[in-house]
Amino acid sequence: MTINPSLSRRSLLGVAGLGLGAAALSACGGPSTSTAADPVSAGADPNGPSFAGVQPAKEITFWSNHPGNSEAVTRSIIAKFAAATGITVNLVTAGSSYEEVAQKFQAAQAGGRLPDVVVFSDVWWFRYYTQNSIIPLTNALKAAGVDTTDYRDGLFADYQYAGGQWAVPWARSTPLFYYNKTHWTKAGLEDRAPKTWAEIAAWAPKLQAANTGAQHAYEHPALADYAGWTLQNILWGYGGGWSKKGSFDITCDADPSVSALQYVQDSVYKGKWAGVASQSATDDLAAGACSATLGSTGSLVGIQKAVAGKFEIGVGFLPGGPVSQSPVCPTGGAGVGIPKGIKAANQLAAAKFIGFLTNAASTVAFSQATGYMPVRKSADTSSLLTANPLIGTAIKQLDVTRTQDYARVFLPGADQEMAKSVAQLLTQRADVKQTMTALHGTLEQIYTTQVKPHLG
Amino acid sequence: MSNAPLAAPTVATRPRPRVSRRTLREWTLFGLLAFPNIALILMFVYRPLMTNIYYSTLDWTLGSPTARVIGLANYREFFTGPDAATVLRATGVFTVATVGGSMLLGLLFATVLNRRLVGNTLARATVFAPYVLSGVGVGLVWTFIFDPVTGVLAGLLRAVGLSSPQWFLDPSLSLTMVILVYVWKNLGYCAVIYLAAMQAVPRDLLEAAAMDGAGRVRTFITIVWPLLSPTSFFLLLTTILGSLQAFDLIRIMTPLGNGTTTLMYDSYLQAFGGYNRAGYSAAISTVLFVILLAMTAVQLHLIERRVHYA
Repeated sequence: MTINPSLSRRSLLGVAGLGLGAAALSACGGPSTSTAADPVSAGADPNGPSFAGVQPAKEITFWSNHPGNSEAVTRSIIAKFAAATGITVNLVTAGSSYEEVAQKFQAAQAGGRLPDVVVFSDVWWFRYYTQNSIIPLTNALKAAGVDTTDYRDGLFADYQYAGGQWAVPWARSTPLFYYNKTHWTKAGLEDRAPKTWAEIAAWAPKLQAANTGAQHAYEHPALADYAGWTLQNILWGYGGGWSKKGSFDITCDADPSVSALQYVQDSVYKGKWAGVASQSATDDLAAGACSATLGSTGSLVGIQKAVAGKFEIGVGFLPGGPVSQSPVCPTGGAGVGIPKGIKAANQLAAAKFIGFLTNAASTVAFSQATGYMPVRKSADTSSLLTANPLIGTAIKQLDVTRTQDYARVFLPGADQEMAKSVAQLLTQRADVKQTMTALHGTLEQIYTTQVKPHLG
Repeated sequence: MSNAPLAAPTVATRPRPRVSRRTLREWTLFGLLAFPNIALILMFVYRPLMTNIYYSTLDWTLGSPTARVIGLANYREFFTGPDAATVLRATGVFTVATVGGSMLLGLLFATVLNRRLVGNTLARATVFAPYVLSGVGVGLVWTFIFDPVTGVLAGLLRAVGLSSPQWFLDPSLSLTMVILVYVWKNLGYCAVIYLAAMQAVPRDLLEAAAMDGAGRVRTFITIVWPLLSPTSFFLLLTTILGSLQAFDLIRIMTPLGNGTTTLMYDSYLQAFGGYNRAGYSAAISTVLFVILLAMTAVQLHLIERRVHYA
């Protein structure tokens, strides 16, 4: 059989036709388009859909990244829930981080199979809200018989916007000051965390002179490890912030913020007592490579296991700054919520599960296994404190926490931009004011183009 | 002159060639055999390609059910924004260094492995092994090796009184680190292909050169290298395509893309790395596609002319 391989006019037209067909076909999929931005469904009930007459589904799916190595404890809670309600929960490992879960959830919005419950980190739930991807939970939690007044007020309020409750606190954390007690003793320091950043600077020479074997007296957390979150503390301590409290007004280049970040840069280049973690500051602390660092409370149990038999770990409140000593501790971690595009029966079963997952007994069991904070006021933490007294410090610090700046949690990609800017300060010794001015422009643009149009 | 009406002129028409049964049967058979492949290629290659080009004209947040048509604004933003120069530079440096490094070292290893040495088979397997390893696994292992605080390399440097460079924090060192690991992983592929080509070099040519008194270097330059040109051309084509699409090592070793944001990785970061700008990401992917297409066309039409086929 011989086929003429030369391209005739007819075959060219045929190929062009196929191409146009493919283009037309492709235009059929994807999002619906308009020439104007689509604000979040105006006029929708901020309490969420009604569940009158709805019976809960018998089987639901929960997407998690198992924060704080929580898979085992989550499975045990799920087993108890199944025994109590007869509802089966399929726990799916949807990624190894909040970002990976978010990728999968967003891809599922475009046509995949959605979960019934999904973990939302502090920087993701607002995006789902602006994308109309999740439901307000007030009616769902009410229909599921969940007592919402028992949640810790600050943690519960973190997920409120435009009159709606968009998630429920679950694996909630704050940063905590971790230090190596053996190094502290060698340096002749009091067995406590420093009260201010000035005190750390004063203690650092003693730690450096104590022959601890550590490369740095203090290590700033890895930039990829949520630099925007861990630096909130020092920014607030100096009276600055990424943005004004409760507002989208960017203040990262205001004088107090610049002073705070100048202190951070000087700790590395002038004082030379601080370093920056490449991968994980808490791993470096556990390896004895630094004497102190900041880390999530969700890392507490993991660090304790890592240093067991080597040295004793100490924890304390985050240090204050020259302007403010309290509250200078940001809340963080993750909550759980319910997607919009699933059946009402599944949403109701999901609400029942969320109530059980975060009830007083479950939250204590979860905290014990991970170090995350109990999210219920009625949680009996006595057994928790007996088993692990350090968790008490983390729980006490909850009383002096502050909700994070909007610029960090509500602007898509802001965390990455903050980390990039801080990287310039700490690895290339870039000018702080100029770098923060450039960051201001970037954050402003993100707000103007990606958030403001959706807020109506 | 006669008034009789003129008869309509008769136009001689050539009889249409009738399609023979045999030709029809052959075309039907061709259609039956080729259709599944054509359908698959249309569905899984051209359709996503067209979809991507369409998405690049949208202001679309990933996961959102709605989007806004903005024409070429995403392209304008990319080419006029501050990141384009950085991203294109990182892409260029990464591609040149990894393609050059893999091919050069691959050729060097192939030359050594082409000799009769003790443990030759083991050496060949060792050189090729990294190529078949998972990129994620390789990335994780090398991340540990390069860690400036707890890593193996830092330990070795400390033992001789040196401190470790900040591989993960300094953007240029991050790029160097990823290039080194990428070359280590992929040079085995080039080595094996070169080795196969070297073994196909006619021995009589090599013997004739030896009899004429040509040394090893001279023989390599005047005989072996020209005969390897089809292989070099093939490797150049495939390694450039591979390097421009490198992802796994960059993602694992430098998740923020600090200094390592190539076009491919920028496309990922914009859609999935926190920004969720699916339309903008699609525009970057389209730019990458056009570059790949242009480079392949240039290579096929210009470089291939200089290739010496035996």
